[in-house]
Amino acid sequence: MAISFTATELTDAEKALQKEVREFCDSYLTPGSYVPGLGMGAGPSKELSLELGRRGYLGMALPVEYGGRNASVIERLIVVEELLRRGAQVEYHWTADRQSGAVINRFGTEEQKRRFIPAICRGELCFTIGMSEPDSGSDLSSVKTRATKVEGGWSITGVKIWNSNAHIGDWMIALVRTEESDDSHKGLSQFIVDMRSEGLEINPITFLDGTADFAEVVFNDVFVPDDLILGQEGDGWHQCTSELSFERAGAERWLSPILIVESWIREHSDQFGPEALRFLGRATARWWGIRQVSLSVARMIDEGKAPSVESAIGKDLGTEFEQQIIADLQQLVELEPTLETDSTFQRLLARALLVSPSWKIRGGTNEILRGIIGKGLR
Amino acid sequence: MTDALVLETAERVFAAVSTFDAIQEAEAQRWAPAIWDAAAEIGLPWISLPEDKGGVGGTLSEALAVLTVAGRHAAPIPLAETGILGGWLLSSAGLAVGEGPLSVVPGLAEDSLTLEGSLVSGTAHRVPWAQHVDRIVALVDGHVVAISPRSARFDVVNNLAGEPRDTVHFDHAEVDVIAPAPDGVTPNALRLRGALSRAALMAGALRAMTDMTVAYTGERKQFGKAIGSFQAVQALVVRCAEESFLVDLAVQAAAREAERGNGNFEIAAAKTLADDAARIAAAAAHQAHGAMGMTQEYPLHQLSRRLWSWRAEYGDATWPARIGQGVVENGADHFFRTISEGSASGISI
Repeated sequence: MAISFTATELTDAEKALQKEVREFCDSYLTPGSYVPGLGMGAGPSKELSLELGRRGYLGMALPVEYGGRNASVIERLIVVEELLRRGAQVEYHWTADRQSGAVINRFGTEEQKRRFIPAICRGELCFTIGMSEPDSGSDLSSVKTRATKVEGGWSITGVKIWNSNAHIGDWMIALVRTEESDDSHKGLSQFIVDMRSEGLEINPITFLDGTADFAEVVFNDVFVPDDLILGQEGDGWHQCTSELSFERAGAERWLSPILIVESWIREHSDQFGPEALRFLGRATARWWGIRQVSLSVARMIDEGKAPSVESAIGKDLGTEFEQQIIADLQQLVELEPTLETDSTFQRLLARALLVSPSWKIRGGTNEILRGIIGKGLR
Repeated sequence: MTDALVLETAERVFAAVSTFDAIQEAEAQRWAPAIWDAAAEIGLPWISLPEDKGGVGGTLSEALAVLTVAGRHAAPIPLAETGILGGWLLSSAGLAVGEGPLSVVPGLAEDSLTLEGSLVSGTAHRVPWAQHVDRIVALVDGHVVAISPRSARFDVVNNLAGEPRDTVHFDHAEVDVIAPAPDGVTPNALRLRGALSRAALMAGALRAMTDMTVAYTGERKQFGKAIGSFQAVQALVVRCAEESFLVDLAVQAAAREAERGNGNFEIAAAKTLADDAARIAAAAAHQAHGAMGMTQEYPLHQLSRRLWSWRAEYGDATWPARIGQGVVENGADHFFRTISEGSASGISI
């Protein structure tokens, strides 16, 4: 069994960055200046994204020549931790910062890099992921959306689904079939699609809590010029899985409920009995441990390794824990949950009860991830 | 010896001597001289203890990594007691560690040891391999003492893995050596080190349990295919593996911080994670093994019974509450810092 994790810790330079980011967040994200949310589902704020861009906190791992800072995965993790743990509204830049910039940098043309990466680093662009389809969820290679060659580009027809922030998005990186093949993993390509293209229809999907941040995106002969195919024609599967696999163990997989517990301590710790203290201690221990996993995976990526199994382990452990926190806490506090409350604790706990099932679904369901892990263990 | 070489050697030695049959035999005899001698011959019990007190040098992290190897092989010997617990108590107090195996009085609430001059009286519980060691080390009334088992009376008590955890009675027993406990050598410090030693052993047992479960579910066939190819079984294997990785990482980080002087939070957290893992991983591993895992002839029980025992040693119920109390005292504003910086955040455990 080749899987193993080595403990790591922040270097002095990384600690200095952490201090700098903390100071910025303390001064910019002051209480009352925003409504804190849950992890990467906290909502979009272009204003915050632009400010982060000005500070150099977006697209950090991208090359300096395109506006990034050649930073490490650990350094990005440090920034993301500080934002998520404050429930900051990170959604506008989230996808672009986490993966679109990286995939364009890795597979894009020089022209594409110059066109997109500087704007991503400035926080100007909102990207949405274009992978799932109504009949292709976990079995992603079965996508049916098709691109046909036309003069000067491609014409795309089909349906993408579960696209977060499609309604405010500027661009989508879409996984599309460009050639029929007996091997479903072949004949797929990625395109950078302008969300304002003619023939593109965005239908919001209302979730069970009444929010409509996800959408179905219908392509009716949407024209994409030749210069916006991403990477090699036919290499879409490989590109797409590399986009998915390495950063699964990020802070968004274990930090979502932290503000709930923090505000629970703030609002109720004077009434904590032995059971509450034990829950809090156990949760803190596991939070600390899972963070060690996240740091360890990030360090492996920075060392040039490809820890796809370790990343999947991080996500499974993290999101399983996030849901357990909500279940245990709800049992402990005996509150009738409501969103109509002045208490940050009660509001976020109620929101979490509604949205936490999604935590083990987005980014690959945990059941599928366990298949990846199981194979890696053999 | 370098770190990697020590671990390779330990792995080779334990694999050779701490076999299934030897462990079963140790359970019947309550002592495993061949396993002890093999470990002692290459100095494993004395890693991290100063050479001028009879140790072999090396770091606490190295000693803990060797414990993890021992845990992987379910080695039924007082390795932690002789080194990072008893050896630490003696050498910290300026006393020689000696050449034979040591036991340590863990210091339970129901213990009643008292010291009058150089005479110890009272009862100590759950003392590992107490009848077979050269000396029993204890922290009594602010003193480190070592006493020969010949001056004690015993009630035979075993943990669930058949490892001796005797109740020891002293009646004006003359100590072998005695010295005042220096600063930092307290019942709480011993408890923390004890918890760290058990977490390190458990990390090894969890890893072995994972390897065993991966192998078994890959070989055992039902309905014409390996049971590991069924998703429900695969999920059990993955659960076991994840807990094992989590505890291993936690022990590495706790060892690092303890070595630097204050790893109290990390130790408490690592033991808490190990205790939870013992429950979660052992349940998953047994379920994946089916009835075969319940038999005495199949080796899974040599790991699972140890995990169920070590879980309760040096506290299981107490650590979460102590961490929780520390978190509350550290304050809501510092909550994330507690998680990200651990002991360095100022949390008191």
